[in-house]
Amino acid sequence: MSQARAQPGLSGRVDWTFVAAVLGLVTLGTIAMLSAASTTMFYQSILRKHFIALALGLSLFTLTLAFNYQIFQDQSKPLYAVAVALMASVLVLGRSARGHRAWLRLAGFSFQPAELARVLVVLVLADFLDRRARRVGEFPTLLAALAIAAPILALILKQPDFSTALTFLPTITGMLFCAGADMFQMLFVFGYGALALSVPLVVTFCQVRFPYSPPMSLPGLVLSASRFGWPLLAAMVLLAALSAAAWLAAAWLRLSARPLAFIAAPVIVSLAMLTGVAVNRSMKSYQRNRFVAFVAPRSDVQGAAYNVIQSRVAIGSGGLWGQGLFSGTQSQLGFLPERHTDFIFADIGEEMGFWGAGLVLGLYTLLFWRIVAAARQARDRYGYLVCCGLASMFAFVVVLNVGMCVGLMPVAGIPLPLISYGGSSLVVNLFSLGIVANVYARRYALL
Amino acid sequence: MKPDSTRGRLSILWGVISAACVVLGLRLAQLQILDAAYYRDAAERNRSQIIYQTAPRGRFYDRHGEVLAENRGAFTLIFLPGKNRVRRDLEPLARELGRQLGQDPGDLLVTLEQAERDQSAARLAENLPPATAFRLWELKTIYPGIVLIEEARRYYPYGRFASHLLGYMGKMSPREWRNFKARGYRADQRIGKMGLEALFEDDLRGRDGGRRMEVDAQGRIKRELENIPWEAGSNVYLTLDAAVQRAADEGLRESVTGRGAAVAIDPRNGDILAMSSQPDFDPNALLSVDAKTGRPSAGIPEFNNAIAGTYPPGSTFKPIVGLAAFAKGASPDEEYFCPGYYQLGNRRFKCWVHKGHGRVGWFKGLEESCDVYFYNLGLKTGGAEIERYERMFGLGERTNISLRGEKSGHRFGPRQRGKEGKGWYDGDTLNLSIGQGELTVTPLQMAVVTAALANRGQVWRPHFTRRIVYADGRPDFVQHPELSARIDATPRAWDLVQRAMEIVVSSGTGKSARVPGLVVAGKTGTAQNAGGKDHAWFIVYAGRPGEPAKIAVAVLVANGGHGGVSAAPVARRMILARFGLADAQDARAPRPAAPGARPAPPPEILPAGAIR
Repeated sequence: MSQARAQPGLSGRVDWTFVAAVLGLVTLGTIAMLSAASTTMFYQSILRKHFIALALGLSLFTLTLAFNYQIFQDQSKPLYAVAVALMASVLVLGRSARGHRAWLRLAGFSFQPAELARVLVVLVLADFLDRRARRVGEFPTLLAALAIAAPILALILKQPDFSTALTFLPTITGMLFCAGADMFQMLFVFGYGALALSVPLVVTFCQVRFPYSPPMSLPGLVLSASRFGWPLLAAMVLLAALSAAAWLAAAWLRLSARPLAFIAAPVIVSLAMLTGVAVNRSMKSYQRNRFVAFVAPRSDVQGAAYNVIQSRVAIGSGGLWGQGLFSGTQSQLGFLPERHTDFIFADIGEEMGFWGAGLVLGLYTLLFWRIVAAARQARDRYGYLVCCGLASMFAFVVVLNVGMCVGLMPVAGIPLPLISYGGSSLVVNLFSLGIVANVYARRYALL
Repeated sequence: MKPDSTRGRLSILWGVISAACVVLGLRLAQLQILDAAYYRDAAERNRSQIIYQTAPRGRFYDRHGEVLAENRGAFTLIFLPGKNRVRRDLEPLARELGRQLGQDPGDLLVTLEQAERDQSAARLAENLPPATAFRLWELKTIYPGIVLIEEARRYYPYGRFASHLLGYMGKMSPREWRNFKARGYRADQRIGKMGLEALFEDDLRGRDGGRRMEVDAQGRIKRELENIPWEAGSNVYLTLDAAVQRAADEGLRESVTGRGAAVAIDPRNGDILAMSSQPDFDPNALLSVDAKTGRPSAGIPEFNNAIAGTYPPGSTFKPIVGLAAFAKGASPDEEYFCPGYYQLGNRRFKCWVHKGHGRVGWFKGLEESCDVYFYNLGLKTGGAEIERYERMFGLGERTNISLRGEKSGHRFGPRQRGKEGKGWYDGDTLNLSIGQGELTVTPLQMAVVTAALANRGQVWRPHFTRRIVYADGRPDFVQHPELSARIDATPRAWDLVQRAMEIVVSSGTGKSARVPGLVVAGKTGTAQNAGGKDHAWFIVYAGRPGEPAKIAVAVLVANGGHGGVSAAPVARRMILARFGLADAQDARAPRPAAPGARPAPPPEILPAGAIR
């Protein structure tokens, strides 16, 4: 620190703990990838792409430190335009792989712009919420924030990439929450979202667990209410009646309650149910299979649930010390699917054991802690919001991916940041973490 | 600057994130520390497939050490399931294998899919000829999951030889599978289905070996993890004399009808020297599977005439009648006149020589098998007394030889009739005196009777085991002779019966069994058969002069007519084989080498390890 005081250079202000966490994760990820991808057919090509992306990402990380992050706030509108343009161009020019039109070819490299768009949305939203700071508690602000993200979300869903779109919601939620949005409003908005999403889950659960339930039993009622029709309408009327009864009861008991709640609650719930039913109807079969695999992993071992089981077996068989690099039978013999991409955490668990997997989890926790610290010490509200958004985003993605590998979350096709193989993901993630480092390094507003 | 409330919210965000990380960490500890053993097992099951290799089954030896059943190496085609393979992936393989093996691809596909579902190895074809095996070897590189192993298969060096006694190996029926599952059998194993193979199943089977292979998700073999050596089964040494058995099998096969049974017993201890039933089968043929149908290529005559065929003994019963009469004090010199029939009331009982034998005493009576003489002798002795001797000789009861399907025959006499609630008449006594009526016996029972006639009254429980040498080092099982009864008769009665039986062979109806230099004593029989031609019987025992008899034989040729013509030559071949004599050879000449030199030893089973 003395050196920094004497000569106020950047190096003294950089959060070296944070940098160490990033480098540690990237190193562990590279080692795991070397092992996990060794049995694939394109090992050489994978290695080449990975190291090119790593070099590019680390340069971007360093480069981002070189200029003030506030430039992103100044250029907010162009950034938003870039994000929308990128996502639109993917749909027009993009290449299809595995049923997603998610890839852009750029100078010989394939590039997945949705990851970049997500970071850009964080930057744009941070600017918006910063400028609306005084009116952040108002409902229009909340809706406007969602409206900003909506076009990009819609374009991503059009690919269709359900999983990536899913990661937007906690990111936006985290930012709104940290910006100080009204909890009651957020509860309604996100309660609506959560309810709408839970409808397909509950319906799938009932379909799998109680396939032959009689029509008047609870699962039977759930199933009949999951279609547009009289039972659904009846359910909504019942909700309205319940709400009215609750209001009367509250009045009779002389409880002080906001009358708005008794109107809003049934409306929100009904709307959420309608949306949920719509989502449920439009779900693709592979998406439903993921729900099935989560709800009942043993129902279809050869199909969607296969991945979940093999991943859990891989992690569990690693034990305390792991089976050693290049020696995990689950990954090296091909039982573990997607072992160098989405399920790389399972490979780490198998080959490096509890210590390896625990180290990765520990480094992530350290990383989150440092991002939160950067947010706490940011010199302006914009930097604070950017860090909050990125913290929510990374934390959600990591928890979702690791949770999927250990069988606590449904299978979502999202990579593990900094560790999974995937060039564009690595570059974008290092770039966005560079912004976090930038916010922290410029916390005293001297540079 | 930020308002304070947002700082609080950041702390909440951090709290949520760190809580999630803690939950994940705990879950990780649960999987990797608490449940690690379970998942390690699961991973181990995933990557390893056991290919079982049938252990060499215990061998059967005859009394001179000749191998009667052994093992040979054979190729077996195994399919190892992969992960996540569906019907579409298996169809080309099923087509190709169907072409190579001549089996229906549809059936093969069903087997392959079953293996995929169960995640366990399946046997597609066994006992493959080497040419097919080498062609299939090449498929291994194209289709993952195809493995050829070599294992031990049962082999019977003599083919059609004591087939009903030795039995054969076969696949389990669904009912047998339910029983054997609990005893550690696998569904695709073969078991002893009959005779000694079934009886000694537990001793013979040994413990199968296996090779634990590491396979990848496609079912491709990566390497061998472990080679579990097999343990061969225990060898069983039989009392059988291969030469006598061969003589019985061939003799019966070449007899008039080619159907019947022959049993030879050592009268000194009850050893079964031969047990033949015709028609027989080749147990080797049941092991090779028909390429077209996938089923054994031969149907088999399961019926064992020697223990399950019951026939009236006919005249071979007459020595027992004589023994009963003399034991009661009858005189052999008393003569009866035979006009060719016996008149009882208004019924006429014929003698088999219609013109009559004239005046007949004991020796002439047995020598020429005069029915009228025995009618008189029987009436004089009484049905009850004859029945007592039936019982002592073990007729009407199983010998308890412990082979499946043994019949007891039917005792005939006043007491038996009384049990059945019916009366006994003199006409019945007449029928009984010549071994007809309701009396039925098995060839095995008659061999035991013959042995008792030869050794003067010791009724042995017949047995076929000498020794079982256990593979696991337990002390050998040694079979001791078991006496089931002793016939009570005077030495004079024995002398009379034995002398008369010698005369039967030397100059009477049994002349075709005569062997110069041996004391041969026998009795022919022609059992009346309501449904067709008479059955031919011959019982005989033989020994060197001055020595106890070494062989007692009972031969039955179904529908063979007269016993002296069709059954006695079979018995003679067996006697010759027992004494190591060639046909027409004098027993006084020096003894030649045993006929049927031992076959060259079969190639040893290659040790497991041929898969690369």
